[in-house]
Amino acid sequence: MLARALAALRRKTRTWARKRHGIDSDPLILSGRRIYIVPSSLGIAFSLMLFAMFLGAMNYANNLALGLTFMLGALALTAMHYCHRNLAGLHIRSAAREPVFAGQTARFRIALENDAKVARYELTIANEHGIANPVRVEAGARVVLDLEVPAPHRGLLRLDSFEITTRHPFGMFRAWAYLNMDLRCVVYPKPSPRGLPPPPLETDTGGAQDATRGDEDFAGLRAFHPGDSPRRIAWKAYAREQGLHVKVYAGTAVTSHSFDWDALTGLGAEARLSQLCRWIEDAHAAGRAFGLRMPGVEIAPNVGPGHRQRCLTALALFDEQAAHG
Amino acid sequence: MAEARALRWRVAAEWPPTLQRLVWVIIALTLSVLPHAAHIRPWIMLLAAGAAALRLAIEVKHWQLPPKWLRGVLAFVAFLAVVLDYRTLNGIDAGTALLVVMAGMKLMETRTVRDLTVIVFLSYFALFAAFLYNQSLLTLPYMLVTAWLLTVTLMRIHQTTTSMSVREAAGITGKMFAQALPLAILLFLLFPRLPGQFWAVVPPRGAATTGLSDEMSPGDVSDLSVSGELAFRAKFASALPPARELYWRGPVMHEFDGRTWRQRRTPFMPQEVTAVGTTYRYEVMLEPHQRRWIFALDVATDWPQRRVIRASDLQLWSDAPISTLSSFRLESATAYAVSGPLPKAMRDADLRLPGGRNERSIALAREMRERAGSDQAFVAAVLAKFRDEEYFYTLEPPRLDLNSVDDFLFNTRRGFCEHFASAFTMLARAAGIPARVVTGYQGGELNPMSGYLLIRQSEAHAWSEVWLEGRGWVRVDPTAAVAPERIERGLDAALTEGGESLPGSFLRRNALLTQVRLAWDAANTFWNNQVVAFGEAQQRWLLERLNIGDADWEELGLALVLALVAFFAVMSAYLAWRFRPRARDPLAQIYEQLCRKLARRGLPRAAHEGPSDYVARVVQARPELSHHLLEARNLYVALRYGPRSWGPQLNRSELSRLKFIVNQLKV
Repeated sequence: MLARALAALRRKTRTWARKRHGIDSDPLILSGRRIYIVPSSLGIAFSLMLFAMFLGAMNYANNLALGLTFMLGALALTAMHYCHRNLAGLHIRSAAREPVFAGQTARFRIALENDAKVARYELTIANEHGIANPVRVEAGARVVLDLEVPAPHRGLLRLDSFEITTRHPFGMFRAWAYLNMDLRCVVYPKPSPRGLPPPPLETDTGGAQDATRGDEDFAGLRAFHPGDSPRRIAWKAYAREQGLHVKVYAGTAVTSHSFDWDALTGLGAEARLSQLCRWIEDAHAAGRAFGLRMPGVEIAPNVGPGHRQRCLTALALFDEQAAHG
Repeated sequence: MAEARALRWRVAAEWPPTLQRLVWVIIALTLSVLPHAAHIRPWIMLLAAGAAALRLAIEVKHWQLPPKWLRGVLAFVAFLAVVLDYRTLNGIDAGTALLVVMAGMKLMETRTVRDLTVIVFLSYFALFAAFLYNQSLLTLPYMLVTAWLLTVTLMRIHQTTTSMSVREAAGITGKMFAQALPLAILLFLLFPRLPGQFWAVVPPRGAATTGLSDEMSPGDVSDLSVSGELAFRAKFASALPPARELYWRGPVMHEFDGRTWRQRRTPFMPQEVTAVGTTYRYEVMLEPHQRRWIFALDVATDWPQRRVIRASDLQLWSDAPISTLSSFRLESATAYAVSGPLPKAMRDADLRLPGGRNERSIALAREMRERAGSDQAFVAAVLAKFRDEEYFYTLEPPRLDLNSVDDFLFNTRRGFCEHFASAFTMLARAAGIPARVVTGYQGGELNPMSGYLLIRQSEAHAWSEVWLEGRGWVRVDPTAAVAPERIERGLDAALTEGGESLPGSFLRRNALLTQVRLAWDAANTFWNNQVVAFGEAQQRWLLERLNIGDADWEELGLALVLALVAFFAVMSAYLAWRFRPRARDPLAQIYEQLCRKLARRGLPRAAHEGPSDYVARVVQARPELSHHLLEARNLYVALRYGPRSWGPQLNRSELSRLKFIVNQLKV
């Protein structure tokens, strides 16, 4: 009951803070005015204890006991200032995010930089899905924290807002700031289970796109450059004292898959995307070239992680309405 | 040996963090409970120690924590045991016992940081309770160090994933203590003090053992242990009375059963008393003794009427037990006259003797009275008997049988003040002279540094008062007849004559040590007067010094709020300064200023652009700026990447030229 009320209150304050602060710039310096601070439950327990001590000391008119009570009270107030200042002036910067498949957990990486001359302690970031392990940021140092957010659907996952919090030094106070940096993470479609075989390899024997690839037909000689493979050196020509030349092959036969949206008839849009995703992953793992054709998207066959990322991103961001309309 | 210790420390540093935390918390708890060892029941300490040992064993051996129901049952049984043993939960004794038991029980179930924190909080509370027992200057350093250590522990257990070295935690908390101190002092000085208790509690038990008693039976004591503990201090406004007149009146005993003297429960009719000779104004500051007695120089003639009453036998009574250090302003005379006759009730009480006891003494008294002819002569004759016959002053007298006065006078003949006062008073009563025993203190040592007279428990004394028709009550000290040094020069002197010595008498004779002792006492006096006894009066005095005469509650409250506001302002400013960014490179600042200016014109620097590319792009977009921008770029590149591009060698004139250009740039 109480927990639910607290959660609701937390949601309310979060939306209120978002309205108040708007979207934050990406490297952000945390100003003192946007840091909130409240006593934690330990802090409330401590204050109750101080109150009991105060009553006892007054009752017995015992000045040393009263002095100890005031000392601890003043110490708690000092701790409050330390807690607040532990956050204020911190630099916050987002780091690169690795794309994930739908159903996995996206990891938003947030860098905390401390340009003060003293260390900051027990800093952590949290959102409604979880909390990172607290870290200590030395003077002039930077620490990267991970914030995990489940990514159930393909597309762009936005990190709604998160908190940066600390309980340093004694856990009696909790200081935090709401941040809304508009961070997004690409979520690829979930690959469908293996089943449907990929379309057969197509062989492109036409005009070679790339003279450096393939090894089918001899195309002539060119002058040697440092770095050329010794196996390609034309030793016969060298023996004829024609200089050092390298054999060049061209007209290479390139085999590649062509993954086509329209070939997947009888499936829904998401199912098609999942299937395409599966084919791309398998082809990439096997090191085969592939191309992608979808309404509004045409990616020529290629290989490599950059190509895979381009194709998967196209799947992730595919918008059926926009493509047909 | 040293190597072994270093090795042990290294091993300790490699303990798992949870074990380290636990050990620290247990040490901190032990240190804060230790001051209670003297007055808490041993089984409670053993219980807590056992719980700590068990918890450590669980941690080291990776056992399971005891199940929840078992912990609950144990806690309940322990609670019940405290209630049954102390018969109450009210008061410091029972409260402290419960606190220690609770800490022990809590220790059994510690798993999380939160549990450990609760134990540290309980330790703070134990420290607080220790102050209720003892406010002496001697224990203060220990308490402060323990409070600091507790705070270090608190900070270290809250470093959840990274560990913090003891030195670092000690440094930070030490600084925090220093910063909190001014506020704590202001709160201490300004917080309104309430007179009196608002919740009646049982006084602590351990505190009632020293000092005078409300009855006196000399025959029961075979070895009077003399304590050098302070009973009270006195400060005279003018000259000190002579040492032989320093009789501090305590409980007056009227009832005698042949062996024991007791105070009377019912009061007498008061008598009119007038001072004779000099009166002295002075202040007594009583150490807490849990009784209502106030020790005044022989007869008090003026006293604070609101809190103090003077009984008909001239003893002063406070309206509440002296449970804290308390001071009273008094006026006294060392001799006094009583006008009017002795009331009949008092005469009867002070003549009463138990039947069938001490019959030889009674017969002796009657015979001596007849021979003397007058009351006064009788008194002189008894004192002469003590002086001239074989009577000895000693602190180790033999025990006396049921007829204690007979046994003392005719048989053992050895005793201290109580024996002589008891015997003398009984003899006077037997001779028909109303007489009573007065207990209290005699003498005192002057501390020339603080000007205070120190009266110790070892100066406890007993004497007699007899009613002589026409003269009123007259003080007679039979001990003075046997051992006049006791009265003139103190107990040490009296005992040296007999070859006995007091504990600490060596300290009192060595001149240098005497200086040290007196300096220490002066410090203690200051501490007691200014800190321990700080109350409404001192507060008022302080405020008058600050020209806030006649401050009322609202003004004090306002001052408190102002103190808090000032503390907040100073703390924020200090911490902002502590956490200020590192000093920036001036060149980078100028360059950033340039980029900001251009960005405001819609030409922000892209993250990948260096100064040359950026300026080239800007010049393309805004050709009219090219002259200034190109010079600025050349200067910047030369300063940044040139041969002497860093530090104090930085070319000042080029830097100021660059600054000038950037400032002049109109975009």
